[in-house]
Amino acid sequence: MDLSWSEIIELFGWACAAALLAGVVCPLVGALLYVRRSSFHGIALPQFAAAGVACGFCVLPWWIEHVGLGALDLDAALADTHLATNYHLGWAAVFTFGGLALLSLTGARAGSEVARLAAGFALAGALTVLFTHASPVGEHFVGQLMRGEILAIGQHEFETLCAVLAAVALVLYRYRREFVLISFDRELAQVLGRRTRALELLFLAVTGATVSVGTMTLGPIVLFGLLVLPPIAARATARSMAGFLLWSSVHGTLAAGLGVWAALRFNLPMAPPIVLAAAVQLGAAQGLRLARARRGAGTARQAGPA
Amino acid sequence: MSALVELEDAAFGYAGRVVVRAHGLAVRPGEFLGLVGASGAGKTTLFRGLLGLVPPLAGRVKRAGAVFGYVPQRETLDELFPLSALEVVEMGACGRRTGLRAFGRDERAAAHAALARVGLGPEARAPFAELSGGQRQRVLIARALLARPTLLLLDEPTSAVDQAAERRILALLRELNEREGLAILLVSHNLALVREAVALVWTVRDGGVEVAPPGEALGARGLERLFGGAGAAGATGG
Repeated sequence: MDLSWSEIIELFGWACAAALLAGVVCPLVGALLYVRRSSFHGIALPQFAAAGVACGFCVLPWWIEHVGLGALDLDAALADTHLATNYHLGWAAVFTFGGLALLSLTGARAGSEVARLAAGFALAGALTVLFTHASPVGEHFVGQLMRGEILAIGQHEFETLCAVLAAVALVLYRYRREFVLISFDRELAQVLGRRTRALELLFLAVTGATVSVGTMTLGPIVLFGLLVLPPIAARATARSMAGFLLWSSVHGTLAAGLGVWAALRFNLPMAPPIVLAAAVQLGAAQGLRLARARRGAGTARQAGPA
Repeated sequence: MSALVELEDAAFGYAGRVVVRAHGLAVRPGEFLGLVGASGAGKTTLFRGLLGLVPPLAGRVKRAGAVFGYVPQRETLDELFPLSALEVVEMGACGRRTGLRAFGRDERAAAHAALARVGLGPEARAPFAELSGGQRQRVLIARALLARPTLLLLDEPTSAVDQAAERRILALLRELNEREGLAILLVSHNLALVREAVALVWTVRDGGVEVAPPGEALGARGLERLFGGAGAAGATGG
């Protein structure tokens, strides 16, 4: 792309900033999902959110006629990014939290959580395709979202993302120890008098908010990549929970930065390069872990016979 | 001396089915108690009932301001968490955090002191999952101490640790009990350890609880009643 940096910032500044912001915050949520052995939430929930956005488009004509959207007609509503963003964010949130509730309710019974999440992912994927098919006005937008064509992100979408992720970051900063405690040793949390159910709900709310706004703004592929890959890379070398969270965020930010650069440099959709950059870091981190393990084994062998 | 915890006609169980009944049981300050029983007899249910993890189906558990320090079986803790020893200990202070108050320097210093107390000061930054079984157990005891407990409850603290680690853990518990007056309730299958450590044994049998000194509860006749003839022979070694 033959554009100067000032032109790039002018045209795609909000998209770049949104990707970097998601790179900082989303891996923190993903890191907690990872240690709770719930990483597949990071795949299933964005798909539910995407289904919500597609459903929003599907019912938009009906909604405008019967409920109303700022007294706008269909064409005006589609052109008004401010209102449309809020409307679709609402649908993404309804489907994300609906998906969370569905997975939690069915999870009350015995069985494999991974299988439940896989079933949820399949269901949400099918709904996304059906809603998109039933909504000619939404097909283009949902298609872009699914492919990660996020360069058109505007100021309002960025501000929405910024407000939600800032709130998520604050909650994580304040309650990270409690979230780790209820995940690592729930019984101790109960003995210490912590309200474990309320904390679980708070964590689910944080996850749902991140996924809803992230999927609506950046698309499910970026969310898949940022929730799942950076924490795995960080875990390979982490020696403390604080380090794990920090490095998850660093890996996510690097992946977002490299992905944005590659997308602009080679004229690609933004999401796939972000995921690829995260995957490359994961490979490097695993290599580093293996090298450390070999060095440790070598040192032990040298010390052993003596 | 008033009891820290008292069970008044308490019955514990699951799904409405009573597993164990306890009447007139109490833990007093400075006591060192053992809780034993055959597998499935209900000692874990009673232990969880004391901790408040299982609500009584009947009767009540009276806690006169007792603060519990809980040491779970370390096998129940997931090694996927990349926690350092210090971070595990710091969890013990979570009960004192209220509202939006941040984790402060005082808690951090107390966590370091608790680790030093159990002889693991230099291991503060070491990953919990990379410590030996005995070291991990001592980290969990340090975590329980951070809650400033009046009663320490330990679930199988010496399972799957070598003999040296077992002696070290026992010495630590004795010191906490004798020097600091901390009341301790220990659940263990290691009857030799219980016999050596405690002053009084709670034996869970036939849905009830019997209280006796270790010489009586874990003597030949006591073991025969607990496990039957063949089981008693195997159990004495701990």
